[in-house]
Amino acid sequence: MWDRLANRSNTADGPKMTEWRRRRGKAVHLRDWKPLVQQVDSAQSMHETNVNHPANDSNCGLYVHLPFCETKCGYCDFYSVPTHGRDTAPLVFAIVRELKRRTDHIEQRILTIFCGGGTPTILPIDQLDAVLTPLGGLAKRHDSIEFTVEANPATVDDEKTRLMVSAGVGRVSMGAQSFFPSELAALERLHDPDDIPVSFATLRRNGVERINLDLIFGIPGQTLETWSQSLRRAVDLSPDHLACYGLTYEPATRLTAQRNLGKITPCGENLEAEMFELTTETLEAAGFKQYEISNYALPGCECAHNVGYWRNQPYVAVGPSAVGCIHGERYKNIADIGGYIRMIDERGDAVVERETLTGEMLVLEMVMMQMRLVEGLSISAFRARIGIDPRALFQRPIERLAELGKIQVSDTHIALTQSGRLVADRVMTQLVGEPATGPISLPVLSG
Amino acid sequence: MADLSLIRNFSIVAHIDHGKSTLADRIMERTGAVSKRDMRDQLLDDMDLEREMGITIKANRATVNYKSHGKSYMFNLIDTPGHVDFHYEVSRSLAACEGVLVLVDATQGVQAQTVANAYLALEADLEILLVINKIDLPAARPEDIALEVEQVLGLEAADAVFTSAKTGEGIDELLEAIVAKIPPPSGSVDKPLRALIYDAKPDPHRGVICHMRVFDGSFARGDKIDLMGVDRSYIITEVGKYTPKSTVIAALGAGEVGYFVAGIKTLADVNIGDTVTRASNPTDKPLPGYVPPQQMVFCDFYPGTGTTTAQLREAMEKLWLTDSSFTYNTVSSDALGIGFRCGFLGLLHMKIIQERLEREGDVSVVQTAPTVEYEVLLQDGSTMRIESPSELPDMSLVDEIREPIVLAQMIIPADCVGTVMRLSLDRRGEQKKTEYLSQTRVMLTYRLPLSEIIYDFYDKLKSCTRGYGTVDYEIEDFRADDMIKMDILVNGVPVDALSVIVHREKAQYRGRKLIARLKKEIGRHMFEIPLQAAVGGKIIARETIRAFRKDVTAKCYGGDVTRKRKLLESQKAGKKRMKVVGNVEIPQGAFMSILAPDD
Repeated sequence: MWDRLANRSNTADGPKMTEWRRRRGKAVHLRDWKPLVQQVDSAQSMHETNVNHPANDSNCGLYVHLPFCETKCGYCDFYSVPTHGRDTAPLVFAIVRELKRRTDHIEQRILTIFCGGGTPTILPIDQLDAVLTPLGGLAKRHDSIEFTVEANPATVDDEKTRLMVSAGVGRVSMGAQSFFPSELAALERLHDPDDIPVSFATLRRNGVERINLDLIFGIPGQTLETWSQSLRRAVDLSPDHLACYGLTYEPATRLTAQRNLGKITPCGENLEAEMFELTTETLEAAGFKQYEISNYALPGCECAHNVGYWRNQPYVAVGPSAVGCIHGERYKNIADIGGYIRMIDERGDAVVERETLTGEMLVLEMVMMQMRLVEGLSISAFRARIGIDPRALFQRPIERLAELGKIQVSDTHIALTQSGRLVADRVMTQLVGEPATGPISLPVLSG
Repeated sequence: MADLSLIRNFSIVAHIDHGKSTLADRIMERTGAVSKRDMRDQLLDDMDLEREMGITIKANRATVNYKSHGKSYMFNLIDTPGHVDFHYEVSRSLAACEGVLVLVDATQGVQAQTVANAYLALEADLEILLVINKIDLPAARPEDIALEVEQVLGLEAADAVFTSAKTGEGIDELLEAIVAKIPPPSGSVDKPLRALIYDAKPDPHRGVICHMRVFDGSFARGDKIDLMGVDRSYIITEVGKYTPKSTVIAALGAGEVGYFVAGIKTLADVNIGDTVTRASNPTDKPLPGYVPPQQMVFCDFYPGTGTTTAQLREAMEKLWLTDSSFTYNTVSSDALGIGFRCGFLGLLHMKIIQERLEREGDVSVVQTAPTVEYEVLLQDGSTMRIESPSELPDMSLVDEIREPIVLAQMIIPADCVGTVMRLSLDRRGEQKKTEYLSQTRVMLTYRLPLSEIIYDFYDKLKSCTRGYGTVDYEIEDFRADDMIKMDILVNGVPVDALSVIVHREKAQYRGRKLIARLKKEIGRHMFEIPLQAAVGGKIIARETIRAFRKDVTAKCYGGDVTRKRKLLESQKAGKKRMKVVGNVEIPQGAFMSILAPDD
């Protein structure tokens, strides 16, 4: 597969684009990173070396952050600002400039594109076009396998959807959150539950083939029954992907402030745990496979872009507050629209924080990200990048955690068990909290 | 050699914060030993930790000259620590003096430590000069306080000197009173050398520096001396005095205080209280030695994560060379592995040693709860001393357990007598005396088990006397009581380092408190953890730490990595001072649970 794709990028433009669209429909995307379902054959092992070895790290993801929303939701801690009739054009143009600067001479192949926010789809159509057209150009040039845009119900119409599809967007991720008005109100979401199927139909009608729905459980006032109904109504729409997040009380959000003031009562750990278990049961019965803690997909429809994050692949990011990580360095852009425009104008980038990843940092990040995947931490990828077998480095905690039934170790991966996923944060702390000392030492990684 | 009649050797004793260090500073400034410009506040307290904690730990000293009526007197000022843990150091300092200044705060009056220290001075048969300090404060009641002292200690109120060490008022009168009241040393330069080592400290370049008081004879550099107790000879390489900087002099004679260096390598080679004499012409009457320091509080130190037993041992060995009044021995715990059982003069001493270990030795220490020493009478009639509950033999072999009893003096406001008596009774106290110092202040004397005091007695006393109550105590003897061993089981596994010896009647109450506290300290794990307190196999208290049902980050994408990684890093660091027993992570705080105040 890898060989075929690599070759294809040398073919002429026309057939390539057609081929790309065709493949999009057939949802072969993930296999370009590496199949989630292990296939034992020789092609597979060669493929694995190619993708995970830093020296051959020739792919990357691209993330574009459009920070505008209609209103700020109570639970959200992303950088976003309500539009309130402000002129969004200067920011859009600044973002396009940064995009051009970061991708014109990029060495890596941009395998996936993800345009999020914020709500990208609330931009006026001409500005949406100004962003999506260059992204579409990149997708074509790099033969990208996935191009996703985030949307909220009631922010998509036929015109915008047609624009997206013609720009090459093959996947839309929609924040449905819940099908109950009271729960949406608790989250301070503006849309009506009935907007969800309407917007969903708009996307389908105009040729969006892959659709994800975001749902939230653990909302104050939610019950197992209402959660079960939300899940079922989401499944009934036939998306190919569902992301089901346990509500998180992030610091410095209105939701957390309300909880601290006693104005809302969280569901509580037991109910949240039951909801989490119910999610997996319901969705697996409907043919979805859990492939990450909060993500479920029909076979082959996993979000390749996000899998890139969880496999510690490089990513380029553009836009205010966006975080990219490439060549062993992570950078973060300024989280302020005015400041962002000024910095892009004056010096072409808007980076305010940088960190160079050391071997020790990478160890933590590989555990923390890859263990989120149902497949788990890849032993060969860890060895290739760190130079140590993780089973040796974490020998003692692995033994203890396996004994407790929280992880299982195969020849290729260290993975959470179903019960381990409920307490994933604990397991990971335990895993890295007691590494072997002595002759095993961590090398410092160069970019 | 100096004229004996012109020498005055004395110490200052006081309750903490009554102004002892300031008074010492003022005396040095007034006698010109230290110029005003060089004056560093509280000159004598030179150890960092002492400054931080506002207490004097090590005895320091200075020799100053005072001119009066055409005569030049030599004052040897010997500083003493003020805290209850350091009776031993106080007593060895006092042995080098003829007199003592008992310093009392004119606003606060006599406190427990004042009484304890004044008694030590009386026992040592020293001349006592009463100094009422802080007379510059608006709330000062110097005359009342002088009468109070007369009442408690039997010192003539009329002889008191009134001073303000802060403003300098009364200092001249005090210096004159020192000349007039404190007797000069007796002794003779012509007799064979007899000198007392009352303190010693290590020096990285010169070896051990011995602080000593000469009673008879004299010695100089190059003399060959004998340390009579250890029967070893050394050649003196340096003789000096503290002025207050160390100053080399030619010789020291009878009645004088100073130091010598003689190529002694470690503190272990010197016995504090030993008599120094001349090898060629020894005395036949060594001075009465000191009682060796008595360790009263014991606990175990184990290496924390990132520290090895070898590193901890090295740090302890190094520290011991600067403070030989704590003891340490290798100990092996089923739960915690190899560590050290340490003995201390008191709780404060323990805290200081633990801090100095971490600070100066750069090691991380997991410490178990302090305990006292018990005397165990076995069925076969033999007795043994144990410093840890885990050393207790099988109870079927034990006839009785005896615990250390202290004589405690508490000075409290009169309206708090009822509450303090109830507190003391609750701590198995036995009342000995009630004395009214004045209409508003009372001194209660109790016999109390030391184990009941080391937990939270001091805090409790403070809180039930609005902060005014003070206590000082001294070990009297060992007394049998109905003591039992209480075991703590974590996840069904007995953790020896958490065992305690308690009075039978208190076992259940203590057990419940301890378990409740452990529950908080240990925190939730991925599995349920039963906690049990057991006496002789019978469970007397039980709690369960519920398991985590759900602890998982919902979202983690490209923008979240750094923050989540930092969180993971800090959680990882938090595991440093933990011990894993079975599958349970027990943090440092859990081992101190027994000390937790009731809440």
